[in-house]
Amino acid sequence: MLRKRSLEFFLNQRLEVVAAEKPETVTLGGRVGAQGGVRMLLRKVTGIFSNQLSGVAAALVIIFIISCFLSPYFFSSYNMLIVARALAFIGLITIGQSLLMMLGELDISLGAIGGLCGVIGGKLMVEMQIDPFVSFFVCIFFGMFCGLINGLLVTLLNLHSLVLTIGMAGVYSGTNLVLTKGLAITGIPDSIAFLGRGVYLGVPTPFIIMLFVLIITAFITMRTPFGRYIYAIGNNTPAAKMLGIKVNHVRVICFVIAGMLASIAGMLMVARLGTSQPSIGETWILPPIAAAVIGGVATTGGVGNPVGAILGAAIIGVIENIIVIFGVSPYWQSVVSGAIVVFAISFDSISRRYLRKED
Amino acid sequence: MAFLEVRNIRKEFPGVVALNGVDFSVELGQIHALAGENGAGKSTLVKILTGVDAPNLGEIKISDQNALDNKDLFDYVSYVPQELSLFPKMTVAENLFMPFNKSGVARGLVRRSVLSDEAQKYIKRFKINAEPQQLVQNITISDQQLLQIARASTNKNFKVLILDEPTSSLTLTEIQRLFEIIAELKKTNHAVIFISHKLDEIFEIGDEVTVLRNGEKVGHALMKDIREPDLIRMMSGEELKTDKVFFPAAAAGQPLLEVRNLSGPKFANISFALCAGEILGFAGLVGAGRSEVMQSMFGYLKPRSGEIFLEGAPWKLGDTSFSVNHGMLYLSETRKEHGILPLLSLRDNIGISVFEHTVRAYVISNTKERQKVNEIVEAYDIKTSSINKKIMYLSGGNQQKAIIGRAMACNPKVLVFDEPTKGIDVKTKIDIYLIMKALAERGMGIILISSEMNELMKCANRIIAMHQGQIKGEFITKETDKRTLVSAILGIGENGNAS
Repeated sequence: MLRKRSLEFFLNQRLEVVAAEKPETVTLGGRVGAQGGVRMLLRKVTGIFSNQLSGVAAALVIIFIISCFLSPYFFSSYNMLIVARALAFIGLITIGQSLLMMLGELDISLGAIGGLCGVIGGKLMVEMQIDPFVSFFVCIFFGMFCGLINGLLVTLLNLHSLVLTIGMAGVYSGTNLVLTKGLAITGIPDSIAFLGRGVYLGVPTPFIIMLFVLIITAFITMRTPFGRYIYAIGNNTPAAKMLGIKVNHVRVICFVIAGMLASIAGMLMVARLGTSQPSIGETWILPPIAAAVIGGVATTGGVGNPVGAILGAAIIGVIENIIVIFGVSPYWQSVVSGAIVVFAISFDSISRRYLRKED
Repeated sequence: MAFLEVRNIRKEFPGVVALNGVDFSVELGQIHALAGENGAGKSTLVKILTGVDAPNLGEIKISDQNALDNKDLFDYVSYVPQELSLFPKMTVAENLFMPFNKSGVARGLVRRSVLSDEAQKYIKRFKINAEPQQLVQNITISDQQLLQIARASTNKNFKVLILDEPTSSLTLTEIQRLFEIIAELKKTNHAVIFISHKLDEIFEIGDEVTVLRNGEKVGHALMKDIREPDLIRMMSGEELKTDKVFFPAAAAGQPLLEVRNLSGPKFANISFALCAGEILGFAGLVGAGRSEVMQSMFGYLKPRSGEIFLEGAPWKLGDTSFSVNHGMLYLSETRKEHGILPLLSLRDNIGISVFEHTVRAYVISNTKERQKVNEIVEAYDIKTSSINKKIMYLSGGNQQKAIIGRAMACNPKVLVFDEPTKGIDVKTKIDIYLIMKALAERGMGIILISSEMNELMKCANRIIAMHQGQIKGEFITKETDKRTLVSAILGIGENGNAS
């Protein structure tokens, strides 16, 4: 109530003082009419694909089309299932990592959390005979707990998240080895297999889960105050603090979310393999970071969103897949895919240098 | 003939004329003091004298040649900035001779023994208490300051030394040490340009003085022809126009905020009261601790001790979120570092403070947000082509208005403006004065930190002068004059006219 008054009051005040020299003010979306409606719609559509996102999406489409031409096997439903399923696991990690990167943080231990949660899930289900779904949720809570530890250490001790999580990755993956002695836990109940192996309407279940998570996080980042706080902190932490944002709360919550997503990825992988492999998550460290950068999330924070990061992950996934189909010697595979990633991010940087836009 | 001479210099930055028709010259073997308030244009002049910035108009001559055509001439000028700019984790010797091609000490290979031997000479000459191989971070601040001056003189070619407030972190004996060095430089036929706020120092070592105010040269005199009061009058200028005053009309209301014995980084035992409906000015030199006091009140910094009461209720210290939610806001002097969210749009920058109006069931309504933001953009007259423009592309004045508009949406009771018109053009300055006045008259308590005396005299009902972390006096603006205030912030004045 008071607030409304302040504005009106100020408006009046200004009118009194500078009535004569009232400058033009630009109002947006002020004109409404038949034409305006169409324009609004157009603006909305272009708005969604504005900036970086459109570039990544276009790159993905182009790479996709080229891949279709390169090999007839690429667009087969079988191959698409493989691509989608692989993307699901990496994608979950990418979403968590991109949230942290938007804050200006990194978590190197996400893969290790996923692996540890998978192993603990296996122990619970197989050795302790706990209901698979209960175990699943216990593991998710454990993943959140790991994220919480990371977040608290970063915020309370004011540690550099990259270095801290390199250390924590050692702790989590070491615990994994202590628990398993490097041996897989076999005999995961079939009742949760559908979570990893299932196909619903031609789409792998893990991919559906990943999409579901993506929609929720995209909505949170774009349309809720919490999301805005993430951007604010990533943009300018001191300014965010000056605005009265509880900077450390937001950071801890993002670490918890990332830990949760890592544990979901780990458990889905267990469901898919039917065994708890201690090696789950070993390759989930760098590709998600690269994917997020390709998708427009800066490692310094403040820009990008999880949708772009997933598109980036899809680009990497498609490229890796086509390299395999193409029969590139396995020795060369990582050279090629690595080079393409470097090309992708430098292309983005170069194009931004020449097409610098003001908004 | 002057060795270094600039004539009729004009320098513009977008929206501001930083220097207008300034002449300045210095002869070898002379010490020329440069005086003026903050924002008078001293640092811009220094940038032009050192070749960092080129003037829009005017000429620069160094040893009778045009320096704008031949940038190598600027090699004769060495500059020691006010802030320390050393490499803390490198040794004293390495710091002294960097860059090596200019000092000529190490060509090709950097050899420790050669560096140490060379460094020893400078250490002796400048009487620095340090060993050549000590890390700079391990020597005292004052030795670092001297080291910085020594470094400037390792440039083989240097003839002119510019010292920007070199004594701000030195004790009295160290200042004497520095003055001996300056006197020695004078004897060896070097020119020294000495910038300082401390008038007694200017009188002690200066041969002549040039005074800048608002980008113009307002005075030049030989030191022997001038007395301290004259210099203060020249620096402050008495051209305050009565028709341009922005006092809140109403007399001060109820006491709103009370600060008792607040101590913290860079300040001690600060006590004052702020009434509703008044603008309370804080005068002082840069580094007097004014921002630190306010940031500690606001919770951005942690004070060591002290209490604050808002409307009689005790205040939680060290929590910005609490402060914002309970009605205190601080608008930082450094917009870029502490204000704007540069990569986000104007809309997001304002939107982040208006969630109370735009969020229903945890979701931000796009329509409502656009509406609310447009309302603020219009009310505070923020000029932009679109609210979706990134805020970093807006002018400083419009960024400032956006920040004020955003702050007002939080409905504060106490609002602290820290140098709100720094780097802002005159017209927008007046807009901001009007905004402050309007807010105060609505019953808000406003604190205004400013280094521009004129600004304080125009806007504040009361002025508190701070000097080196302590309150040196409290003045009722209408019953004081600028000269008294300038003396107070220099730490040489009386204790104010208000009880």
